[in-house]
Amino acid sequence: MTVLAEMMAGLGLLFMGLAAMSTHLQQATGRKVRVLLHAATRSPVAGLVCGAVAGAATQSSNAVAVISGNLVRSGALSARDAIPVVAGGNLGTALLVFIAAIDLRLVVLYLVALAGFAVHFRLDRRPAWRDWVGVVLGLALVLLGLDFIKSAPRHMELTALAPWLATGLTPVVAFAAGLAAAGISQSSSTSAILVLALAQIGIIGLDDAFYIVLGANLGAGLSTLVASGGLEGTGRQLCYVHILVKAIGCLVLFLAWEGARLAGIDPATALLAAGHHDIAASVSFLFLALQLAGALPVALARKATERLAVALSPPTAEDHASRPRFVHEQGLGEPATALDLSQKETERLIRRLPRLLPDLDPAPGTREEDRTALWRGSAAVARAIDHFIVALIERRLPREELHVALQQQAQLEMVRALQDALHEFSDVVEAFPRTPPLAFNLSESLRTIVLSLVDALDGAPQDFEILAELTSDRSELLNRLRRNLVSGAAHGEEEARGLLHATSLFERALWLVRRIAVALRPSGNEAKRDKALAEGA
Amino acid sequence: MHIEREQAGGDVLLKVAGRLDTPNAKPFETELMDVIATTDGAILVNLAGVDYVSSSGLRALLVAGKAMRNARRRLSLAALQPQIREVFDISGFTALFEIS
Repeated sequence: MTVLAEMMAGLGLLFMGLAAMSTHLQQATGRKVRVLLHAATRSPVAGLVCGAVAGAATQSSNAVAVISGNLVRSGALSARDAIPVVAGGNLGTALLVFIAAIDLRLVVLYLVALAGFAVHFRLDRRPAWRDWVGVVLGLALVLLGLDFIKSAPRHMELTALAPWLATGLTPVVAFAAGLAAAGISQSSSTSAILVLALAQIGIIGLDDAFYIVLGANLGAGLSTLVASGGLEGTGRQLCYVHILVKAIGCLVLFLAWEGARLAGIDPATALLAAGHHDIAASVSFLFLALQLAGALPVALARKATERLAVALSPPTAEDHASRPRFVHEQGLGEPATALDLSQKETERLIRRLPRLLPDLDPAPGTREEDRTALWRGSAAVARAIDHFIVALIERRLPREELHVALQQQAQLEMVRALQDALHEFSDVVEAFPRTPPLAFNLSESLRTIVLSLVDALDGAPQDFEILAELTSDRSELLNRLRRNLVSGAAHGEEEARGLLHATSLFERALWLVRRIAVALRPSGNEAKRDKALAEGA
Repeated sequence: MHIEREQAGGDVLLKVAGRLDTPNAKPFETELMDVIATTDGAILVNLAGVDYVSSSGLRALLVAGKAMRNARRRLSLAALQPQIREVFDISGFTALFEIS
């Protein structure tokens, strides 16, 4: 019973520590991890190394796959560039298994002390230290958890297990046990650590350990697919790459293991020799070899891997909509040009706004699922622009450019708010079983106004004057409509509620269009210059 | 959709009947722009016969409204049915056009 409790406590500490480390590391080094992964574009080997470093830092190949997926979706990294990174992420997680093979009890005690003193002296309340204290505490929990797991089997009554130990496990049972362990823990390294602990005290031999680790490796890959059930397109492509790394690793090592046996060599003895007759080191080497055997071919044959991943999960409409066209990491070099790029990208989002609204004319219009994909994609592009502007501001811009950057940030916030308001408005309007006349009028009016905003982007300065008139205050009219809805019997309760919601969203969208128009309107001098140019032409 | 054009001195009266929807918006805009280009007075659009206006119809009127404003000429709308008046109020067209 003590064994089970210690084992479970160890796993609990390990999971808590890994979660804390991952969260705090991403917050402390979020941008640095992005820069690191971006450096991966140089070559497959660079990608593999960057992925391994990211995997070692986060101790989660899933986290590396998710960060890479976001970078691919935002256009900062191509799917082809991300393949070696995902493959390398698996290599990085092998570090945990190596750490588990070393006795780190003293280090754990000092780390717990360090984290405790940091909390006592309120270092965790300082913004610059907060996340690093979290990382230290997370690491201490991870190592403490590993120590529990390793020491738990030592309390086992081995004589009771003697008959079972004598027969051992069949390869199929061992493989299935590994699959199940990874399915539950969602991690191949955690399963490998459990195997290592059991092997260290002789409960299982290296033959059994080999097949359990193999099963856990494939199981962790497959569990990614289950965990990513909601992902589609590019995001899912990297999950397939992850599974491919695991599957190829399993296949190569299985062939080598059984091949050695056919050649008259005992693979378990050879593995033990590789680990200098230390069974824990041997399991760690086995785990590393498994990751290397999968990661290297996948990273080096990235074109073929990409073709396979694209065939299994083609890019979706949302993937296409999520790609920025103008903002990219390289564009940050020259501040003036960079600000032009971010402005162009924001204007591109403005041009998309009318498509976020339903076209209620009987002519074939945009389908609802396309609108949702466009809204999600636009939100992703807006986030990419925001990151871009923040990165630009961090480069200590000259006063005038800093002012423009802050203005762009404020403008982007309004565009984001308008995207959300239009999406919500569309959902409300399309939820009516039969569009009421007021909903039709609100929707078609809003569409006209948003289209006028788009026209003004390329039009004459006078277009902004017209837009200002179109977006003038209508609170009196809308309040009258609302009063009619509440007092009249023309609509059912559900319909009246929907219409009231629609009028509020309409009013909000109108206000946002007006504010965006004011932000975009050329200043007095620019307007005079544009007018003179237009008249001269 | 049916459009009737009447000349009254330098001014033009357009009587529109039918639906101002996506398929009809372009011919309506073409007719309006033709009147703007070939005359130099005010234009009155009688919408008594119009029972449906979509965003395409509103945009056609907006394009003509901008052209008339740039030419410093008057574009008025008349005889709007109640449901059409409501869409004009909500879209802000009543602030942009003279409506009688």
